[in-house]
Amino acid sequence: MIRKKVTIKNSSGLHARPSAALVKLSSSFKSDFFIHMYGYRVNGKSILGVMTLAAEQGAEMELEIDGSDEQACLEAIEKLIDQKFGMKDE
Amino acid sequence: MPFSTHSPIPINEKLTVEELITKLRKRVNINLIACAAEDKCCDKYVREAELNRPGLALTGYLDVFSWHRIQIIGNTENDYLKKLSQDKQRKAFDNITKFDIPIIFLTNGNILPQALLENATQRGIPIFTTPYETTRFMHLLKDFLDDQFALQTMVHGAMVDVYGVGILIVGKSGIGKSEVALDLVERGHRLVADDVVMITKKGSVLMASATIMSKHFMEIHGLGIVDVMSMFGIRSVRYQKRLEIVTELSLWDDTLEINRTGLDHEQVSILDNEIPYIKLPITPGKNITVIAEVIAMNHLLKHYGYDAAEAFQEKIKSSIAEKTNGMNPSMKRAIEYFEGDVE
Repeated sequence: MIRKKVTIKNSSGLHARPSAALVKLSSSFKSDFFIHMYGYRVNGKSILGVMTLAAEQGAEMELEIDGSDEQACLEAIEKLIDQKFGMKDE
Repeated sequence: MPFSTHSPIPINEKLTVEELITKLRKRVNINLIACAAEDKCCDKYVREAELNRPGLALTGYLDVFSWHRIQIIGNTENDYLKKLSQDKQRKAFDNITKFDIPIIFLTNGNILPQALLENATQRGIPIFTTPYETTRFMHLLKDFLDDQFALQTMVHGAMVDVYGVGILIVGKSGIGKSEVALDLVERGHRLVADDVVMITKKGSVLMASATIMSKHFMEIHGLGIVDVMSMFGIRSVRYQKRLEIVTELSLWDDTLEINRTGLDHEQVSILDNEIPYIKLPITPGKNITVIAEVIAMNHLLKHYGYDAAEAFQEKIKSSIAEKTNGMNPSMKRAIEYFEGDVE
């Protein structure tokens, strides 16, 4: 299991589309993926779960990934967050 | 197990005394009158749900004085203080006020002598009085504090009220939890929460509810987000429901150990409460919705004192006993006498 803290970078935060991108990406991996925020632990493969956090720009969250492909999964998720979820208009 | 160990979080870690007083007045409808240091309420914190009667502390026994708790001065303590001389009274009261007590409540409408109230004001300890009788007040206060300091955890699953039984459906992403929940709603059952279920511990009971954000929304894979309440109406949802059964959906696996008799009762621990747990393997053509209804009905039957698995077990046992005792040789046939198709 690996854990890592990340910060949301895109200006409009984790709204529906970025959430969908995150869920879609994490679902393509076998590993279990959870996000820790505000003391809660939501399933990162559930779109409603991710959207419940309503994470704003600058919000810090901790990723928890556990499984056979955890390293690849973490790298992919970090890349997605760095690239601001591929949102072109922001 | 569906729940990896995850430290629960309390709703509140601390509560300012000001917040406590406002909420007690508004929500619990308790009449509270400030006697001393009302202005200090915003700097004082309550950090636990326990209460303390400072009787022994007043007499000078301070070895195990739980000063960090809310202090309740009832008739006994009040009477004890009143019977002391003014000097001793001040000294006794100072025994407790030299600690950083969050708040003192006086019950039965009692009021302390002016000198003692001044001592509390000086030390910055708020005192409030209430007309409520001590035990009743403590009961209300404890209940309120338990709620404020309740433990919570968030689980991934779908919570549905099926025939009044709260069933939490869990399982891996994409296994079809939401679809089963939707199917149950279609059949007239009520959705509590989908995807994000908040579990709050209330004494020996676990209450499940949706979060404010995700309330009655649902994600159907391939379709996106739908609003169950707008679609199926008010009868299809409910705010909260006691968690009674956890059902885990999993893909069929030959190595999986499946309960075939229903005689063994598995349980899962959530926030240290044991909840009946049923493992349900999915195979093509299996109607999970109907099985969920059967789970609920079976739970109700057990609650009313009839356990089908136990009853069947008893039947077999008595049949075996009859055979071994040679009482009923005809039992070698599965049916005693076949009447023919005449009903």
